[in-house]
Amino acid sequence: MSVSKMEKLTAVVPRERADALLRKLMRLRAVSPVQPPSENTKYPPPKGDVAGAAERVSRVEAVLPVLAKRSVRKMRLFPERTKISHAAFRTDGSYERAWQVVAGTERVLEEQRRLRAEREELLAVMQAYTPYLDYRQRLDFTGTAQTELLLGALPGGTSQETVLEALEGRAAVGQLIGEDGAGLYLSVLVHSKEREATARALSAIGFLAATFPRRDGTAKALFDRADRRRAEIDEALEGLETRLRSLSERLSEVEVLCDVETTTLRAEEQKEHLAATAGYTVLCAWCPVQQKERVTRVLEREGACFEFEEPAEGEEPPILLQNNSFAKNFEWVVGMYSYPAYGKLDPTFVMSIFYMLIFGLMFADAGYGLVLSLACFLLVRFTHPREGMKRFLLMFGYCGLSCILFGVLFGSYFGNFPLAFLESFLGKTPEQMPNLSLLPAEAANVALLFDPIQNPMAFLIVSLGVGALHLLAGMAVQGFILCRRGKVLDAIFDVGSYWLLFAGIATLALGTTVGPWLTLGGVVAIVATQGRHKKGIVSKFIGGLGGLYSLINFASDLLSYSRILALGLASAVVGQVVNILATLKGGSVVGFILMVVVFCVGHLLNLVINVLGTFVHTSRLQYIEFFGKFYEDGGTPFKPMEAADRYSEDTTPEDAETVIQN
Amino acid sequence: MFFTELLNGQNLALLGAAFAAILAGMGSAKGVGMVGEAGAGLLTEDPSKFGKALILQALPGTQGIYGLITAFLIVFKIGILGTPVALTIGQGAYFLMAALPIGVVGYYSASKQARVAISGVSLIAKRPDEVGKAITSAALVETYAIFALLVSLLMVLFAPVG
Repeated sequence: MSVSKMEKLTAVVPRERADALLRKLMRLRAVSPVQPPSENTKYPPPKGDVAGAAERVSRVEAVLPVLAKRSVRKMRLFPERTKISHAAFRTDGSYERAWQVVAGTERVLEEQRRLRAEREELLAVMQAYTPYLDYRQRLDFTGTAQTELLLGALPGGTSQETVLEALEGRAAVGQLIGEDGAGLYLSVLVHSKEREATARALSAIGFLAATFPRRDGTAKALFDRADRRRAEIDEALEGLETRLRSLSERLSEVEVLCDVETTTLRAEEQKEHLAATAGYTVLCAWCPVQQKERVTRVLEREGACFEFEEPAEGEEPPILLQNNSFAKNFEWVVGMYSYPAYGKLDPTFVMSIFYMLIFGLMFADAGYGLVLSLACFLLVRFTHPREGMKRFLLMFGYCGLSCILFGVLFGSYFGNFPLAFLESFLGKTPEQMPNLSLLPAEAANVALLFDPIQNPMAFLIVSLGVGALHLLAGMAVQGFILCRRGKVLDAIFDVGSYWLLFAGIATLALGTTVGPWLTLGGVVAIVATQGRHKKGIVSKFIGGLGGLYSLINFASDLLSYSRILALGLASAVVGQVVNILATLKGGSVVGFILMVVVFCVGHLLNLVINVLGTFVHTSRLQYIEFFGKFYEDGGTPFKPMEAADRYSEDTTPEDAETVIQN
Repeated sequence: MFFTELLNGQNLALLGAAFAAILAGMGSAKGVGMVGEAGAGLLTEDPSKFGKALILQALPGTQGIYGLITAFLIVFKIGILGTPVALTIGQGAYFLMAALPIGVVGYYSASKQARVAISGVSLIAKRPDEVGKAITSAALVETYAIFALLVSLLMVLFAPVG
């Protein structure tokens, strides 16, 4: 439960070894580079081939989805990442083979694009011929010595009478070729002398001359020619598709290639941020002290000259949290708020305990808890998730355990399912039902303690009690921080005096004789100490009263915990609604089937909604009520440079040589 | 005669249940819709943020559930689902008043929460890692809906009937 100590590494290696060193350090995931001091950057840094690497990555990434879509690789519900040594991949020829797959795929895609464009064109051409398929004349026939031919379309819906009217009294013969929704297609043979006048008359009723891409044949012949070519193209496209499918059998090689190239890109980018002299490069990076040994080993093997320094005054090293295997699963919740500042207290461990407690109380249901825990733990067991996802799942898994515990205490198993089942399927009357509750309860229940719906006040007291404990713990942490800094008096004044007052109020409520005296002592202590930083007796007194006033904040923080009751009741009542609907049809076979369906759908929905709500509000209680008491945040998270691992897990041994020049 | 038929304890209590479900549900529908629109805008740019946008969109949806819970408890309490309980007009009005906090505050807080969630959507558009802060800010607004729910729930659970 602490913020890891960081040291600043400065390493000097010959220019030509920079690439190898960076790659090895990436494999360690132990250092986070920083910009070296600017006075060292007189010489240009080693030239990284960022543009080239970026282009290679984008080529591979463009090909990946194409292959993935066609891959017949056994679709596993929980895919496992390929375990492979990236260094071996680059040296044993796999690298080149994978690139052949990429290049092959690119060629096929290019060919596909070309053929598809041609196909589109052909379709447009065919569309132009379609209305004239019944026209027997060759399209390059434009008339005889004395006549001219007008071939074209009138707007759809034009009646034949209109055409006849337009041609009335002219030396012209019209022939209807065909008609569809879009137009009326006709050919008009006209005497050359009358051509102009007829054309004008026709265009007055919307006639447009037909245009064709080619005219060397009948429309039917030209259409068929295009159609044959289209069929050829379709066949070729089919062939390309088959080719892509066979290429997709090698998808996993391309995936590994994607990781390898992404790693290269990262190394190239990093190289440009190194400081350099004529023959050497300088790497500056933060390194957690517990990783020093591993980093040292690598640096020594690379023949680097290096030193580790403590962070200087004013420097802000990145934050790496260190927690035990339980609490580290809650680090991301802290991260969602803000990381602690360097050298300050890591609140994760204390928070994780309260997080589990409050989550369980807010979503107290043994059934939902069991489903949540099982789902999370099984996912971790069988999907081999990455570290971040694994922690996310484990955290909810642990919270589910807490839900089970409180669910048993408060007698909630998928809402009131046991009772609803007893009543509608086994026909028990309320008098015959169990009453397990330790506290006196009027109605039937299966709670060990009490049923929150029957006894909401008791649940409210529990909620506020946990809240008070949480807030007091927050103050205790504040006291601890002050003591650690040697400000024991401040701790006594700022925390002790309030605790005295709370103890007084508690004993007062219990009706003991010391109660009033303790309370009075607390008030006096607060008024006397809270203005101690002010100057002058009046300011000190006013400051002291201000300290007393801050009790209002404490009270409002405390009342905020009543949300535990509200959200707890919310999930229980919705569960109850589901159970009423599920047992509506009673103990028949149909009723049983209905029950199973409604039960599964309804409770799953309630589970999802409430996990979200409970997560959000449990987090809020930590962030606002708990962290507000003591937390000093503002650190940036430690992000080590690392090899890409989206599709594959690099199994290269830590100290393996990786001298690869592109 | 017509009014005495209409204006009885049972109906007043049902009016309360309807109030809770209608107002809170309307607020949530409006809120979820508003955030959904903003979220869709974000998704056109970057579909991979769907999960984050979805959480923000779901936040103003809880008020509707609170309204449903209150409505259900009232319906349950006055025995609509079992043997109806005879209510005086005063007792009916009691339930109507008990429904007001979650109905009114639910409506108002859902649309206000939606506006914070929409700002959260623009926050994650630029800084997807800060989704926790966006969610927390929106959750602060919900506090008051929860308090209203609490008041309504306690009033209904401790109703002097049945």
